[in-house]
Amino acid sequence: MNGRASTATRMGFREQGRRPLLLVLLVAVPFLFISWSFAITEATPRLITLPGGEQLLTTMRDLHGAIMVPITVGFLAGLIGLFVVRSALESDRRLVLAGFSPGEAILPRLVVLVCATLVVLAASLAVTAIDFIPASWGPFVAGNLLAGLIYGAIGALAGALVGRLGGAYLMFFLPMMDIGVAQNPMFFDGEPQGWATVLPGYGPTRVIVDGAFSPQFQAGGELALSLAWTAALGVAVYLLLRRAVGALG
Amino acid sequence: MAFSGAEFLREHLRARLTLAMLVVIPALFVLVSASVLGEFADALGGSVTGDSASALGAGWAAAFLAGALGFFQVSSSRDADRRLALAGMGAARVAVARIGASILLGLLITVVAFLTLWLTAGIAHPPHAFAAILIFALIYIGIGTVVGSFLSDPLEGSLTVAFIFLIDAFSGPGMSGSGGVAQLMPTRKAADVLIAAGAGQGSPASDWIAVGLTTLGALLLAAVAFWLSARPRSA
Repeated sequence: MNGRASTATRMGFREQGRRPLLLVLLVAVPFLFISWSFAITEATPRLITLPGGEQLLTTMRDLHGAIMVPITVGFLAGLIGLFVVRSALESDRRLVLAGFSPGEAILPRLVVLVCATLVVLAASLAVTAIDFIPASWGPFVAGNLLAGLIYGAIGALAGALVGRLGGAYLMFFLPMMDIGVAQNPMFFDGEPQGWATVLPGYGPTRVIVDGAFSPQFQAGGELALSLAWTAALGVAVYLLLRRAVGALG
Repeated sequence: MAFSGAEFLREHLRARLTLAMLVVIPALFVLVSASVLGEFADALGGSVTGDSASALGAGWAAAFLAGALGFFQVSSSRDADRRLALAGMGAARVAVARIGASILLGLLITVVAFLTLWLTAGIAHPPHAFAAILIFALIYIGIGTVVGSFLSDPLEGSLTVAFIFLIDAFSGPGMSGSGGVAQLMPTRKAADVLIAAGAGQGSPASDWIAVGLTTLGALLLAAVAFWLSARPRSA
């Protein structure tokens, strides 16, 4: 990262730091939702199917707590992606006019988005650890990080394509419906139905379920699928933003 | 005044994609959540099941979209509204026109959520269900506009609206809450009416009075929020 890009990155962090309520919300929302999910859910037995086909008896309480992590991370990262990109679209063209290359203007925004996702992820995992220890931390953390990055990128695309209000509608709805309903083993037969596999939350959620309840990693295909979604969406965001900030009259 | 409200409404209708989302999202939400809300309530130790749970999903869809709508109505139009007020329209007329446009958009969301619910799950008591879904939307228009009058940053504001909505929804009747703070949640009584309508029952007059007062209070707060953001500042 050259001098201009590092200065823009520093300014990007300073912009976020000027909004103290944002930091409070990024920590308070995961704390409230995840700890509350554990507190209010009954420990009724629930049979679920792990990636690889093995069936396992767990409880609704553990399932709800574990699945609230990617819902929260995806929801928050999606909204952050949406508004970071809206802000970029409003001001970064001026940076390009002033001599920045489109890449130098875009990279700092993506760094801010990834760092904000990491903050949300760290807060969510710390809260989860109070009530629930996953069988295997590695896949659990990786799946949640991928869920955050995927939804951060979707939020960024929504910000560029459907505007602020339309993007907000979409990001209120999509993570809840995808991760919270379609992929949620609390519903249906304890595993996602066929139609849910085409949604972006499928891969990360299966990796998370595997990490949460199985000591052996069995979700290699789902991990590869998640990485493919993340890479494809990341490239799409980069190209779209590059075109948007570079398209000057 | 009617002309001003129509202009504000036209401003929204011009953004075709946003309008499409106001139609598609509540329909999809009701459709997808109808089959799982009963199971979810059961996991939380709640009592709401079957058609009542599906009906509650329609209220939630109307609430969260109306909350976002209310917030962005205030936060994104503050400067323009102030100029309109200064140009002779006056802060009160701007506020009434904005409220009118918000109510019409809330009505659109309600109609979509109601029709989807009717077509997919059926409604045992349609007039009560329609009124309750509309009340969800109107209460959240109030909440969104009040949040928008305090917070101008879109990320902070939308997170705050979502925060209030999720606490309200998950501590509502039929879910985890039945006493204490749950009784103070803004859509508590509207949810009671909607659950009863989903089960084909009417609601007592006291519930209707409570939802009427809550809705009036929310719309009054919204009007004050619009008025405050539109009124000219002294230099």
